[in-house]
Amino acid sequence: MKRAFSSDLALCRRLAGLALLCFLPGWARAAELQVPALVEAGQAFSIPLGGSGQATFYLLGPDHVVKRTVNLGSDLEIVSSDVRSAGRYQVILCDTSCTSATFEVRAAQPAHLSFFLHPSRVPVSTPDSIDASAFVFDQYFNLVLTPAAVDFRVTPASGAGFSQRASTRQGVTWMRMNSTPHEGPVRVTAVLGNVDEARVVQQVAGEACRLSMKAVVSGNRVTLETDPVRDCSGNALPDGTVVSFTKLDNAGKSTVDTPIKKGIARMDFSLHGRAQISVACGVVLGNEVALNGKL
Amino acid sequence: MKSMAELTLALKKILAGLLNPRFAKGTSLAVAACVLAIAQSAPQIELPPVHLDAAGLTPRPIEGLTGTTIARHYALAWHDLEVASESGRAEGLGEEFVGFAKDRLVKRIAEQNQTGVHVHIVDHGHHLKATFYSTDGTAMQLLDQVQLEIQTFDGNKLLDTRNAPHEYIVLMTPGADRWYIRDLEEVSARR
Repeated sequence: MKRAFSSDLALCRRLAGLALLCFLPGWARAAELQVPALVEAGQAFSIPLGGSGQATFYLLGPDHVVKRTVNLGSDLEIVSSDVRSAGRYQVILCDTSCTSATFEVRAAQPAHLSFFLHPSRVPVSTPDSIDASAFVFDQYFNLVLTPAAVDFRVTPASGAGFSQRASTRQGVTWMRMNSTPHEGPVRVTAVLGNVDEARVVQQVAGEACRLSMKAVVSGNRVTLETDPVRDCSGNALPDGTVVSFTKLDNAGKSTVDTPIKKGIARMDFSLHGRAQISVACGVVLGNEVALNGKL
Repeated sequence: MKSMAELTLALKKILAGLLNPRFAKGTSLAVAACVLAIAQSAPQIELPPVHLDAAGLTPRPIEGLTGTTIARHYALAWHDLEVASESGRAEGLGEEFVGFAKDRLVKRIAEQNQTGVHVHIVDHGHHLKATFYSTDGTAMQLLDQVQLEIQTFDGNKLLDTRNAPHEYIVLMTPGADRWYIRDLEEVSARR
């Protein structure tokens, strides 16, 4: 009985020794890493390090890798510049073995707008012709994924301005609008809090409208001249816009393209007998004149 | 990419030679064989599988060819990223990354080299979902769900192994002949 007891005691001592052997390295090892699940970009924080002695600390982020020796049993300071980029970060602490954890850095408050306005020139009064897209970034140029309301403020050169609000989804929002009836620059400003970014789209006259010409005959020549060429909203078509005059007479068919100068297009033709002359600008046909002594 | 450039240079030289009529007849067969040999000897890059889903994309639908190009260059980009992470050589990143994405990766690789850390990534394939394509075609946003096995080393010492799903927000913009990754941010899969 006594022998059995001493044998049990010996076994216990051995087990206790084994347990101690197992326990001691654990004591020396870094304790479980306790990191926050989520950190705002650029925000310093600390990681409590249990245990004692020294260990090697690694921080691996999207644009940053840190390796340094740390003292266990104290707090490990993660400085602002260590966590500026949004994304997943990996923390590893190694002494006799390694333990690891991850945390996510999310974008800070919106600080920049990346704003695209398309196209740069657009005809007036065209439905769904202007597109605006805005990407929201924080001060470190991380995409801000938290939904935010962006105001698109539209200020035409003439007429009343208006505003359209759109909420971001995964850091981006967009809107589409009609061009306004009057030519000239239209300023579109994307506004989010105190951040704004402006772009300008140039509205130009649309297709010609009610195109007409008059003819003045002098001997065997005729001078053709359009009325001021305007679109249906009354905007003058820009100088340089091509107007085509087509003449059909005994000499055959002849077409001449001429640019608008000072708002009108002018052309001289020689005549060979009776003639029929038409005018066009783009896809728009104007009036026809028949030169047989009667206009 | 380098091998393609070498192949292009070789082809240019060959074409210049072909324009000389004295050599045209005699060399044409040899040239054909040579081009074939160069093409066959070019190392095949094993790209990670990329599946692109662009259903319901707004405000502009995606063209078939654009979708193919995006998937291919996204796969190439991840291949380059994985090679750079393991080798510590960031030169290849400029082929597929620009802007913030490139700057961040280049900085990360440089700091990996300073600290002696390198990362081995086993890529099990990407499921890309296109979420935004601007009307003018200058920007596309995508969401990438991928299973990655990431082994982190310090020198030869394995520090950590993780096999987990990852999710990335990606911003791609078109260049002269390809789509570049302009922004690549990992986000929590349980946002």
